[in-house]
Amino acid sequence: MTESAALPPPRGPLPWVAGGLGLALLAAGSWIGLFEAPAEQHMGDVQRIMYVHVPTAWNAMLAFTFAFACALLVLWRGDWRWDCRLEAAIEVGVVLSALLCIQGAIWARPTWGVWWDWDPRLTTTAVMLFAFIGILALRRFVDDPSRRAAWSAVATVIAYADVPLVYFSVRWWNSLHQMQSTPETVSSPFHLPLRMNAFGVLLLTCAFISLRARVAQLRLREELSPPPPAWAAPARAPATGGAR
Amino acid sequence: MSLAAALRKEGLVQWRTRARFLAVLAFGAVTLLLFSFAAGPDAATLRRHAPGFLWLALMLSSTLALAESFQAEFEQRALEGLLLLPASARSLFYGKALVNAAQLALLGTALVPLTVVLYDVSLPRPGALVGVIVLGAAGLSAPGTLYAAMSSQARARQMLLPLLLFPLVVPVLLSAVKGTALLLAGDPMGQLPSWLLLLAAFDAIYWSLCGLLFDRVVEE
Amino acid sequence: MNAPSGVIEGGWEYVWAAYAVTAVILLGYAASLIARYSAERRKAARGEKGAIEVLS
Repeated sequence: MTESAALPPPRGPLPWVAGGLGLALLAAGSWIGLFEAPAEQHMGDVQRIMYVHVPTAWNAMLAFTFAFACALLVLWRGDWRWDCRLEAAIEVGVVLSALLCIQGAIWARPTWGVWWDWDPRLTTTAVMLFAFIGILALRRFVDDPSRRAAWSAVATVIAYADVPLVYFSVRWWNSLHQMQSTPETVSSPFHLPLRMNAFGVLLLTCAFISLRARVAQLRLREELSPPPPAWAAPARAPATGGAR
Repeated sequence: MSLAAALRKEGLVQWRTRARFLAVLAFGAVTLLLFSFAAGPDAATLRRHAPGFLWLALMLSSTLALAESFQAEFEQRALEGLLLLPASARSLFYGKALVNAAQLALLGTALVPLTVVLYDVSLPRPGALVGVIVLGAAGLSAPGTLYAAMSSQARARQMLLPLLLFPLVVPVLLSAVKGTALLLAGDPMGQLPSWLLLLAAFDAIYWSLCGLLFDRVVEE
Repeated sequence: MNAPSGVIEGGWEYVWAAYAVTAVILLGYAASLIARYSAERRKAARGEKGAIEVLS
């Protein structure tokens, strides 16, 4: 992993289109969830939190799974672009799982009377949040780009393999917990806002990852570009793409 | 370099730096003492929390022990030399991880008498407790050795190792604490085997995964 | 908070809090990404201009 020539300057309207669409879909789905959908039988209006909570959960998991795939590709193929996507996916996953933990606490309070009830899914998310914050810190504290790529890929594989172990250990440790809320267990008037928000957050996640990967790519291009010659001291280092 | 040679080297290094082990042991003992101050002098409370405190003390001291494990190599730039030998990075990793596991198991075992004295617990099955400690130490040492190899070459290494290691070993902490609690307080429901199985599964997964990935950590 | 019927009554303040936190975090993250992206773009453009000045 040495040539920066394999790092073209990022282009294309993908993040803007996906982000705009996702935001619109999320806004419309939340509107329906808040004002159109009926209150749930047992949970009442508190149930409406589910329309943002569950899509966030799915997409946080998806972002970490994508990070795991990126890590494998970095280790096998040694492509810088996957390193950029790895960094992006971890950061977006951290943001989504932090949001998920906050939503989970807000949900738990009226439902069970406590802010945190050690539900295995939510607790696993919290543990993963800290594991991936550690990987972001690792990336921050390693200066050599190719070491940083290899190490964060290794750490991502190791952290991702921990997900089922954490889940089962927390589940056994705190055996009372409630059923999964997927569209199968949720009756039909609740489907539409849930599906809309799920796709909305999915599009937003894609937009975030793609835009964050571009930031990483621009930074990496600067890092990998050769240092400027001594007589060019006041100028910035030329990017390889521009000096052709 | 075979595994035996790597083990001999690590064992020798550990023996020559045994003063360091005593310092880590002292740190663990102080931690146990501090935990008992934090939980108050009520004997029943202390007894109930003893397994958790024992494992937290071991976990906190483990970062000190693990952080040191690559120090010599990097201070004297010996790792490059070691990797130039017709050696596999893998045997180097397993040598280090085994010695670290042994060191942590010894540390944990040495903290048990102190736990008994401070927290007034009884030890109905000391042999089984040592078994749990060995399994837990193995679970801490495999990812810990790998992360120590990374963090000792990074900036802010004091902070990085616990930040990476602690979230990862949550299953070790949970199952080891539960296992220890069941051993100390009795196990009427027969739950001990499933916790030990979880701990052994963690060990198996991470001893193979970390060995597989270690050469990507040290390669230039 | 539990009514005798077992239905949770009210709780709208929690619903609003959840949606507000979601909006703030998602929009805030989007804003920070856009700011970082445009800063990197400006930096890259400046670098390329500098290179051209040096080369000519």
